[in-house]
Amino acid sequence: MAAPPPATLRPGPVQWLRRELFGSRLDGLISIALISFLLAAALGLARWALFQAQWAVISANSTLFAVGRYPLEQQWRLWLLSALLALATGLSWGLLRALPRSGPPPTLWPRNDRWAVAILVVLALWLPLALQLTLAIQLRWWASTALLLLARWAAGRWGQTLSPLARRLIPLIWPLLYLVGMVLISGGLGLVQVAPSDWGGLLLTLLMASFAILLCFPLGVLLALGRRSELPVLRWGSVLYIEFIRGAPLITLLFLGQNILGFLLPGGLAPDRVWRAAWVLTFFAAAYVAEAVRSGLAAVPSGQLEAARSLGLSMPFALIHVVLPQALRVALPTTVGQFISLLQDTTLLSLIGLLDLLGTARTVMANPAFLGRNAEVYLVLAVLFWCCCAALGLGSRALETRLNPNLAASR
Amino acid sequence: MTSPAVMIEARGVEKWYPNGFHALRGVDLSVHQGEVVVIMGPSGSGKSTFLRTFNALEDFQQGAITVDGITLSDDLGHIDAIRREVGMVFQQFNLFPHLSVLENLTLAPVLVRKLPKPAVERRALELLDRVGIAEQAHKYPGQLSGGQQQRVAIARSLCMEPRIMLFDEPTSALDPEMVQEVLEVMQGLARDGMTMVVVTHEVRFARQVAHRVVLMDAGVVVEIAPPDRFFSNPQHERSRQFLRQIG
Repeated sequence: MAAPPPATLRPGPVQWLRRELFGSRLDGLISIALISFLLAAALGLARWALFQAQWAVISANSTLFAVGRYPLEQQWRLWLLSALLALATGLSWGLLRALPRSGPPPTLWPRNDRWAVAILVVLALWLPLALQLTLAIQLRWWASTALLLLARWAAGRWGQTLSPLARRLIPLIWPLLYLVGMVLISGGLGLVQVAPSDWGGLLLTLLMASFAILLCFPLGVLLALGRRSELPVLRWGSVLYIEFIRGAPLITLLFLGQNILGFLLPGGLAPDRVWRAAWVLTFFAAAYVAEAVRSGLAAVPSGQLEAARSLGLSMPFALIHVVLPQALRVALPTTVGQFISLLQDTTLLSLIGLLDLLGTARTVMANPAFLGRNAEVYLVLAVLFWCCCAALGLGSRALETRLNPNLAASR
Repeated sequence: MTSPAVMIEARGVEKWYPNGFHALRGVDLSVHQGEVVVIMGPSGSGKSTFLRTFNALEDFQQGAITVDGITLSDDLGHIDAIRREVGMVFQQFNLFPHLSVLENLTLAPVLVRKLPKPAVERRALELLDRVGIAEQAHKYPGQLSGGQQQRVAIARSLCMEPRIMLFDEPTSALDPEMVQEVLEVMQGLARDGMTMVVVTHEVRFARQVAHRVVLMDAGVVVEIAPPDRFFSNPQHERSRQFLRQIG
């Protein structure tokens, strides 16, 4: 029998408040000053948001913010993609819960998950109403949420009965979904083409960010390995590239990319303006990811590579199975930090004339009908970006826990 | 009378480190099949460096080394072929911390020898049983004691079914109470006829298990002798001095 922990380890809320906020006279003074300041700020914000702000600028332009000038009669494709994304998210979420890396699976709905479900349901019920969307669109919104929750429930309930082969194949739905999404968004394979210049708003922002994130990661790993290579050409090439990119501001590179890619590549091969920007973002982020991965590689003791090589593993095998898994785990937090700033850097696209979220917002604010509604627009933008970044951060923390053998085993 | 086959043949091995340090100064050694050779010597004498040249973890500039009939050269294919046949156990264990104990053992046979995974796992469990830690197969290296980790490392090398085992100070990083459990495993290996080259400071192990003891100092082999003669009647002044120092 373990002895019960002393009471001081698990204080009640009042005790906790007294100890943490009012431990001494000075602590108390600082706490009171800070709390009253925060209260005043929150009150002011609430009064503005409820009585002064005119949210019509958001509800009237919600489609513009979401997808830009994407043709109305083709938007069903985006809804289909949302439904597929909801399905895949629910499936992965449920499977992660049903198949923990070690230890017994927890209950079907752990406490954090119940919170997440509550937030999703509230958002699904309230947002479409607040945006004054038509009933047809409201229904699509609800259907997507329901699909997500249903998939989450089903995967959580029956995930353990899946065969090992199915478990290994299921993560592949994500790359597959990305390809399907690209076709759905841009057209082809029997669908009407929608030119990249018609993409906009959140759609363009997320598309640019996910494209750059997906591609800059392998590129960054290769650059980091190149930087540590024994071949001088590879090493100096990588160093030159990384230092050049890190020494130049992104906005300069974006302008450079718009102008130079047209000269470098023969006519017709040069990608469209949107794709030029996407590639510049990718190459830019790769240099920073490379530095994060390099620090991860440096954290792996040289004995690991020696042990792998002396077991007869070839260099590629040793890197893939022994060195990189450990290095990437160390580099993960920094890398995700890079992804988050990459997502925020997509706002620079508005400066080269693309209608990403910020670009769209600027056109909306330039509309005389919504003059002076800047605060509302920027606040919504900030909240949207915050949600995306928070999702990335949460995902990375979950991944970190899952990849840490010591944590996973001691659970 | 036919003498057993020569497994390792080193002739006139010279090595300079990139900083100009002359680590090995013309070292000769032959190791026969089934033989246990213990290399002793003060730190910095080049004994670990010499051992590591046998599976090309260290390169050398002059001389020749032949391992299991394969001559070490710059040919990468030869190096991988040698490494498949030569197991290596390190002072710092060097287990793969992100893999379970069982996965540590099965990784190389599955990837390098392309053996079917179920068969390799069966063999790995047998080996873990042989080194006395079968019940830890699904734990991670970080959850084991130093002695257990080193025994896993030995089993990991054995899982590749090597013809030669190299040990680089296998007990130097261990707490004293764990040294014995590792030495017993090595003793068992020697009994089964494994060809072994062991760099160690364990005099008792050298006395009981070694067929020959090699004393190295300042990059040269000072003396090679059977353990009873080496410890009771060393021929060289440097050997007597070393034995006095380790007392």
